[in-house]
Formats: sequence, structure tokens, C-alpha cells
Amino acid sequence: MEHPLHPFELHTIIPLSLFGLDVSINKAVVMMFLAVGLIGGLMLMARSSGSLVPTKLQSLAEMLVEFIRGMIHETMGPEGMRFFPLIASLFLFILFCNLLGLIPGSYTVTSQLVVTGVFALSVYALSLVVGLKLHGAKFLGILVPPGTPGWLVPLMVPIELISQLARPISLAVRLFANMTAGHVILGVLFGLTISGGLLIGWLPFSFTVALYGLELGIAFIQAYIFTILTCVYMGDAFHLH
Amino acid sequence: MPSSPDPLYAGLGQAVRMGTELLAALMVGGGLGWVADSYVFSTDPWGMVVGLILGLIAGVRNAYRSAQRLL
Repeated sequence: MEHPLHPFELHTIIPLSLFGLDVSINKAVVMMFLAVGLIGGLMLMARSSGSLVPTKLQSLAEMLVEFIRGMIHETMGPEGMRFFPLIASLFLFILFCNLLGLIPGSYTVTSQLVVTGVFALSVYALSLVVGLKLHGAKFLGILVPPGTPGWLVPLMVPIELISQLARPISLAVRLFANMTAGHVILGVLFGLTISGGLLIGWLPFSFTVALYGLELGIAFIQAYIFTILTCVYMGDAFHLH
Repeated sequence: MPSSPDPLYAGLGQAVRMGTELLAALMVGGGLGWVADSYVFSTDPWGMVVGLILGLIAGVRNAYRSAQRLL
């Protein structure tokens, strides 16, 4: 049986180098291009008809927009709508990467900590920039929760600092760990199916089918959680406390 | 797509979320303490001990905060 982490290894398909940086095309890059292409293509197709009575694809796209708008209004309020393009792209990209990764033989881009880490760090950095721009030095007040007695401030500042620094890490690790763990379990169970043969193989195979359904749900949920937490962190930068 | 996902999956997501919340804060606290120990001051075990305790508190605080948002 092959190593459970073997499917996560990346091999260069087209070696490329830009100013001494390694920008080779590998399977993950191809999957990212595919995700972006699919999102763009589907959205353009949904838009192309533009009729008053929406087609199936158009009403799906409208539902999606409503869903993301609801998410932003709940967490950031109406002024958060200027981040709509960012939030919507983030949600769609992560969702498509998660779902495309479930196709056997493809690659789950979000199972790489580099990818999720860059997303989490850039989103968190953006929320800090927005907070500092809107509130200036007062933004440092997030380190002291409201209603803290004076003598507790020296204790609360390091605790709040740690809990702020933990935000991008938990955001990145959550998505990466969920996608990796799910695929490892699916791979191990399917390996058992093959080595079990006809006699006992049906048992792990039925688990594989059931877990595949669960993984489809997880793909949606993880994309949703990543996006809603992005909104929550942005909202914290908008409204101090 | 409904305005919020299936309640079973939403609950699952919340549970997963709090677990990582605890872990991440603990990692950051312990890591900061360890860095303070080995590179900044030479207070060998104590920086990490204090860091882990602060990280634990911060993790519980984060989990508590995300639970509060649910209500």
C-alpha cells in the first residue's frame, strides 16, 4: 500500500524560473488555474443571458451573491459591502479548490499549508491595515477589552496579543488540516478496499462512499467558515468592540 | 443555497472551529515563550511556561468569544 501522504507530494510538470525564483507549473498550479477558469467561465455564462426571467445558472449565481451579501451584512454591516469583491472571490476560490480536489486523481490545493497560510496572513494583514486606517492609534485599544480594571491591564495585553496572533494561524491550520485529514482518511479506506478484495473489501468501500458525502459537506463548510471568519475579523477592525 | 448552511454541518463547523482556536493560541503562546527563552533572554524554562499559560488563557478566551457569537 502506498504511503497515505503520497498524494500530497507535488512534482514539477513544466519547469519555469522568473528572476531566479522557482515558478514551475505543477499539479497544484494547474488546479488553481482550473478553479479560476471555472469560476470565471460559470459567472460569465450566468451573466450572458441577462434576461429578466433568470435561467438556472443565473438564479444560482444570484443566490450565491445574496448568500455572500447576507454574510457581510451580518458581520460587518452595510459599510462592509466595499469588500464584497474580495470576500466573494475568496469564498468561490476556496470552495472550488475544495470541491475540485474531491475528484479522484485531481489535487486539493487547499491541503497545502502554504496556500492557506498566505490567504490567512494576507486577510489578517488587510484587517489590521483597515483598522489602523479607520481608527489610527485608537486601534491599539483592541488589546484592552472594554471594562478591564486598571490593575489587570498588564495581564490582559499579552493575552490579547496572543489571541490576536493566533487568528491567522487558526484560520490557516483549520482549512489545511481539515482538507488533508479528510483526504488521508479517504485514501486509507480506499487502500483497504483494494487490499481487502471482494471478500471483505465492501466494508471499507461503503465507509469510503459515506465519508465522501461528508467530505462534500466539509468542503462547503470549510469555505464558509474561512470566509465568515474573514468577515468577522474585518468587522472587528471596522467597529472597535 | 440557504442563507445559512445545514444545521448539522454548521454545528460540526463550530465544533471544529473551537478546537483549532484553542490549539492555535497555545501554539502562539508557547512559541513566543520559547523564542523569548532561547534568543532574547536566557530564562530557560520560565518564558515558555508563562507563554503556555498565557496561550491557554488566550485560547479559552477565543473559544469563549466564538461561542458567544453563536448566541
